[in-house]
Parts: sequence; C-alpha cells; structure tokens
Amino acid sequence: MSAAVEAPAQELEALRERLAASPLAGRARVEDRDLPTFEVGPADWPALARFLRDDPGCRFDLFLDLAGVDNLKRPGSRTRFEAVAHLHSLSRNQHARVRVSLPDAEKPSLPSVEEVWPAANWYEREAYDLFGIEFPGHPNLHRLLCHDAFVGHALRKDYAPGQRWFYEESDLRVPDWARQTDERAGHFETQTLSIGPSHPATHGIIHLLARLDGEKIIRAETIIGYLHRCFEKMAETHHWSQVIPYADRLNYVSAMVNGVGYVRTVEKMLDLEVPPRGQLVRTILSEFTRIVDHAVCIGANLVDIGALTAFVYLYQPRENFYSLMEACCGARLTVSYVRVGGLAIDVPEDFVPRCRGLLDSIPTFLDDVQKLVNNNRIVRDRLQGTGVVTKEQAVAWGLTGPMLRASGVPYDVRRARPYDFYDRFDWDVPIATDGDNFSRYLVRMEEIRQSLKIIRQALDIFPENGPVNSDDWRVVLPPKDAVYHDMESLIYHFKLVMEGIRVPAGERYEWIEGVNGELGFYAVSDGRGGPYRLKVRPPCFPNMAAFEKIVLGGTVSDMIATLGTLNVIAGELDR
Amino acid sequence: MSGIIDVSRSAPERLTLFQRLYLPEILRGMAVTLRHLLRNLSNPRGMPTILYPERKRDYSGRFRGKHILKTREDGSLKCVACYMCQQACPAECITIVAGEHPKVAYEKYPVVFDIDMLRCVFCGFCVDACPKDAIWMTRDYELAFFSREEAVFGIDKLIERPGLPVKDGYGYRPYYPGDGTNPPRDASAAPVVPGDGDRDVLREKGLPLIERSAGAGPLNAASQAEKSPAAAGGLS
Repeated sequence: MSAAVEAPAQELEALRERLAASPLAGRARVEDRDLPTFEVGPADWPALARFLRDDPGCRFDLFLDLAGVDNLKRPGSRTRFEAVAHLHSLSRNQHARVRVSLPDAEKPSLPSVEEVWPAANWYEREAYDLFGIEFPGHPNLHRLLCHDAFVGHALRKDYAPGQRWFYEESDLRVPDWARQTDERAGHFETQTLSIGPSHPATHGIIHLLARLDGEKIIRAETIIGYLHRCFEKMAETHHWSQVIPYADRLNYVSAMVNGVGYVRTVEKMLDLEVPPRGQLVRTILSEFTRIVDHAVCIGANLVDIGALTAFVYLYQPRENFYSLMEACCGARLTVSYVRVGGLAIDVPEDFVPRCRGLLDSIPTFLDDVQKLVNNNRIVRDRLQGTGVVTKEQAVAWGLTGPMLRASGVPYDVRRARPYDFYDRFDWDVPIATDGDNFSRYLVRMEEIRQSLKIIRQALDIFPENGPVNSDDWRVVLPPKDAVYHDMESLIYHFKLVMEGIRVPAGERYEWIEGVNGELGFYAVSDGRGGPYRLKVRPPCFPNMAAFEKIVLGGTVSDMIATLGTLNVIAGELDR
Repeated sequence: MSGIIDVSRSAPERLTLFQRLYLPEILRGMAVTLRHLLRNLSNPRGMPTILYPERKRDYSGRFRGKHILKTREDGSLKCVACYMCQQACPAECITIVAGEHPKVAYEKYPVVFDIDMLRCVFCGFCVDACPKDAIWMTRDYELAFFSREEAVFGIDKLIERPGLPVKDGYGYRPYYPGDGTNPPRDASAAPVVPGDGDRDVLREKGLPLIERSAGAGPLNAASQAEKSPAAAGGLS
C-alpha cells in the first residue's frame, strides 16, 4: 500500500508546505478532493508545471491526462472553460490533479507545457480540437481526433450533436516538411511515404506519413482520428449505465477491463461497495481478458513479421475464453457484463471448474509459442534492438503499462494502488531493461503467466455463494421476481430505467491497470442521471503519440514490428 | 503481494552459433507443429475449428441474439408499450407506437414495435428493462440483409409464434428454469374485474370508459404521433 492511500491528509499537508515555500506561493493553491487538487491561473501554469515536475517533494514526472471541461450548463462561480490535468509521481507513488480556470470564455487560451512534459503534446491538441482551447507555444497545434474539414469544437456544450462535416481527400493537412523536396549534395533525394490509413499492418485505421532516406525514416507524423465515434459526446447524452456498452467498445479486445474501469469510477462517486463475489468475478474475467489481449498483441505482431503459426496457437485459448465469457453473459467480444454496483447476471454454476480447465490449458500454448519464437533467428533479428525506448524517454512520453515496464520502470496500478483483491494475491511485476520490441514481447509473455497466477489465487478464495450485486436499489435494478410482483420494486425499476442513476454532483478520477497501461476515467457529474463530462485516459494514446519519435532512424520494416508491440487499438485511441 | 522480476534475461541475449544457423531451430519449430498436426489427425473432433455453416457452435442459454416478443396464452403480445426498453436502449434502435387495446384487462399494446438490427448492439438492456417479461433474446445470430429497410424488424418478424419452436432456442432472458425466480402472472389469467370485456361492449351499454387523447403517452409520444399519425391514436 502506498503512503498516499494510507495518509492522504499528511501527503496533502506536505504538498501545501512545499507550495508555500516556492515562488508560486499565493498564486496557486492545493485543495483536498479525491486527489490533491492544485488550482492555478493560466499565466502561472508553466511555472507550476516545472515546480510539480522538479520539486523534490512533488516529482510528478508522469503526465497522465489533460481534459477540457465546458461549464456552460453547470451554473456556479466557475469560468466557462477549465483544463484539468492528471499527474503521477513514480518515486512518491501519488496522483494529483491540476485545475486551470480559463477566464476568457470567447478565446480560451493556456500556455503549452509540452516542454515540461513532452507527453502533453497530443493531449493539448485534443483539447484544442474538441474545446477550441489555444495553446501558445505548442509546436504543432492542429486538430487531432476530428478531421481538418470539421467546423466547430465538438465537446463544447453549445455544439449540437448529430451535425455532419464531410471530408474529402484534398482536405488532408499535409505538413510542410512532407511537401518539400530535400536535396543535399552527394545525397539522393528523400521521399515522403504515406502508410495507411487502410494498410494490413496498421491493425485498424492509422495513418503514418514518413519521410524516407533510402529505407530509413528520418521524420514521421501519425495522423489518427479515422475511427473517432464521439464516445465522450455520446456519454454526455446518455445515462450512466447506458455508457457501459460504449465503454466496451473502446478497447474491444479487452472489453471487460474497460467496463470494470468505467463502473468503478461511477461506484466511487456513489460510494458504493460491490460484494466480494462480484469483485472476484470481475478480477478473474479481467485477468483472463488481459491474457487474451496480450495473446492477440503478440500473435498479431508475429504475423506482421511473418510467423503465422504462433498466432494460431495463441488464438486457441482466446476462443476457449470467449466461450466461457459467452456462458457468463451471452456475448463473446463486446460483453456488456458489468453494471454499476455489480454484474448483469450471476456466473453460471460451472464457472469455477471451467476457469480451472482453461487455466490448465493455457501454459501448453505458451510453451509452444516460446519454443517457436524465443530462439528463432528471424524473430530476434526483427525484434531485438528495434523500437528502443529508454527509461527517461518512456517517462517523458507518458507511457504506462507493458511499454513502461519493458523500459525498466516497475509501475503497475495493481501494485501501486491495489484495488479489489489485488493486494491479497502473490504475484510479480515483470520488467525488462532493454526497452526494445523483444523486451516488450518478453514482458507480455511473463504478464500472461502472472495473470494465470492471480486467477488461480482468486479462484481459491472465490465464495461459493453470495450476491454479486449491491442491494442498493437506487443503483442496481431490483431482481426481476420482485419487479413483477411488488409495486415498490417496480417503482425503483422504473425510476432507474427512465431517469438513470442519480450520481451526486462532483468529479472523480479513477484509474485501474488496463491491458496497455493506466486506464483512467475522469467523470464530472451535475447530479443528473447521466455524465456531465466523461474523459477517458486511453492507455494506448501516449503510446501512439510516441510512435513517431520511436521509429526515427529505423527502417520501414522496423516500424511495422514496433507498431505491433505498441498494441494500439484504434477504437480506444480515437474514441 | 510480491516483488518485481526482470525478464530481460529469461531468453538468452545472444543466440548461439548453432541457433544462428537457423535450420536446427526451424526443425525444432517443425517438431512443435508436427505434434499439433498428429494430435489433430488422431482426434479430429478435438480440433478447435468448426466447419461453419454445416456445424455450428453450441451457445449457452444466455446468448444475446435476435430478439423475440413473448406472447400470452391467447397469442396476444405481452408488451404493454411502456417505452422502458426504448428508453434503456443505448443504441436507440427501438421504436414503439402505443395503442389502446380493445380488451380492457390489457389496456395498452404496441401498434408498432420496430428494432433496427443494424443499430442494435445486442447488449440485452431491453430485456433487463422490461417489467412485463415481454422481450427475450434468442440464439439466432444469422442476420443478413440486402437493404437497410429489411434490417428494421417489425412485430411480424419479432413475435413468438405460438406453437412453433424458437430457432436455435432461447437466449438471454430475465429468468431461467430452476434458478428460483418466477415469471410474472399472465394478465389473461388475472381475476376479471366486473365489467371487463371488449371496449365496444362497454360503450354499447353506456358504461363509463376513460378515453385517451391521441399522442398523450410518455416521453416521445409527440414524435411518434408525427411518425405514424394513424397508429398513435390507437384503436378506439
């Protein structure tokens, strides 16, 4: 357990003292919310950013997220626009929030902190795109998720959903460096290559513009947003519980983990506890999902570099797991199994034996894959020493999950801030030191084995009977039997379906270890039945942002191998 | 809780000359694939692949496939057009137009009940939301259409045909045999209140009958009336 969890008051007091001793005293303050929350004006934001990163009592080195908030429909003393950043300190194991109120409602503007945390680059572009917040000092302030022919800013409260802006090929913004021809003496001309958006190796719709010198990439830019489905805007127009199927479709390879991450946020806002059996079902199925996601990532990566067999072997346990998932909830991929306060339906009677059977079958496949891959010369030549990310780069670029751990930083949310039952299980956090593609393969392989260990222990303490759902009928639908025959239950049922769950007004950032890294949901409620603002921190977003820097100096074929180990899922990236 | 393990040396950093020769490692790999081949040849039924569509996967009784509208014993729809499923649907794919049922005991029924199968995400929220046990899901997942219009399933495609078995069996539903929950009481079996009968009979006898104005339903009744003016007024 971290100190932050045990003694939040002391931690907060320490931060307050550091802040008072700094030159920023009087211009910024820190408040006690679900996280220590710094408040500052836009002019002092870069100075506060430097203080938070460099001060030995702060050391917030990991930039996690930047969310814009439009307070147009939230009456109160707030300014119309706010920018809310979330940070993590690796050495002190603490999360913090910074809220910057932007006084100018017409032309909101906030100095860029890209120089302090390079990870902020894409998050600031996103806030510019969706809220129209200007970031003076940003090196490349262009739209990110919406296309270049888009008019308006989609997440502003006065932007009506349902408008359409048509996009033609000529609307594509080609950066200046991609247009110029570069002719140097004694050197043949370099050329620009457009890879994607529809390319078999990009796994989804991702577009990479690369400038090549021979086969070497000397400059690159990633263009995303081709799969943008307005998740955050849709969440604002639906009830809290209706967001669950949407959340499943963020990272559709690990739908269960996304659902758990989302409902945990709502449960924390409601201060609601899920019974142990429900928590354990979530843990077991989430860990299986992690195994499947890693298997898909490794398998697809190996296919990209020409090894089909391992892919087929890794897909067999995946098939078996999906059958188990279907027996639990009725769907294989987009499961919609979790509900706020528990699960849609209790697990089937043969759940534990089926899980144990699956557990026993998986190591065989892993052994087979390791025999095929580990000492294969082609795999080694393609993966070893390519796509290298050093420890310092990984932290600066805001990477989390297997990407960060393969570079040697042992940050895992399940260990750093254990939720559900993770502090009771005996398992190891695998790390590697090389930071190359092969390290990421090794880390993922080991994580699969650690997940098997966790599931085995979870099954040992799995209670045979007991509820899976909370019995608070203001949140969870009453049992059908009661709804049919009892007026009181029918009224609760009706209120929940028609009005949604009444979540108390406030804000919350809740994070879990997603499959690719820290999966965070920042939710703002104004007391209605649906979210006022819901921001996802998709774990593969910083991975993709770093991609254009990782591939520099490598060849195009290295780029394909690197893209595979980033495990980018376009649904989550583009939302 | 436990520690941290470094996996960078779980595979040797450099391959030996023997491994770099490539061919021995290929042979080792082929031994693995040959084992799989022999195992599958000796036990074809244990193979993970399924020869679809000749053979189909067995799905559980919780499978979320095409919806089905349940009927009462007399063949009428159990649905009372309360709009709960339409409201609960995250994909907004259900369209209901309510009408007044000629039989007083049933009160209200759906004149139109459309599900757009192209919008539907098969999350099962409609089944969860239904207070009358009127909508279930089946294990029928083979839904293919030639046009968008065809993909909008009306009552004629969704209704359970009394006496006919459901294709592939029932899927996700509010209760399962033997799990201790009870189905709702059927309105047709409910005690008959005095004066119950056809509305026309009541009118003929001059008995009081509450007439409802057209379009006065919950929530979206106004838009529904616009969509289908004839149906929104009900049958009265």
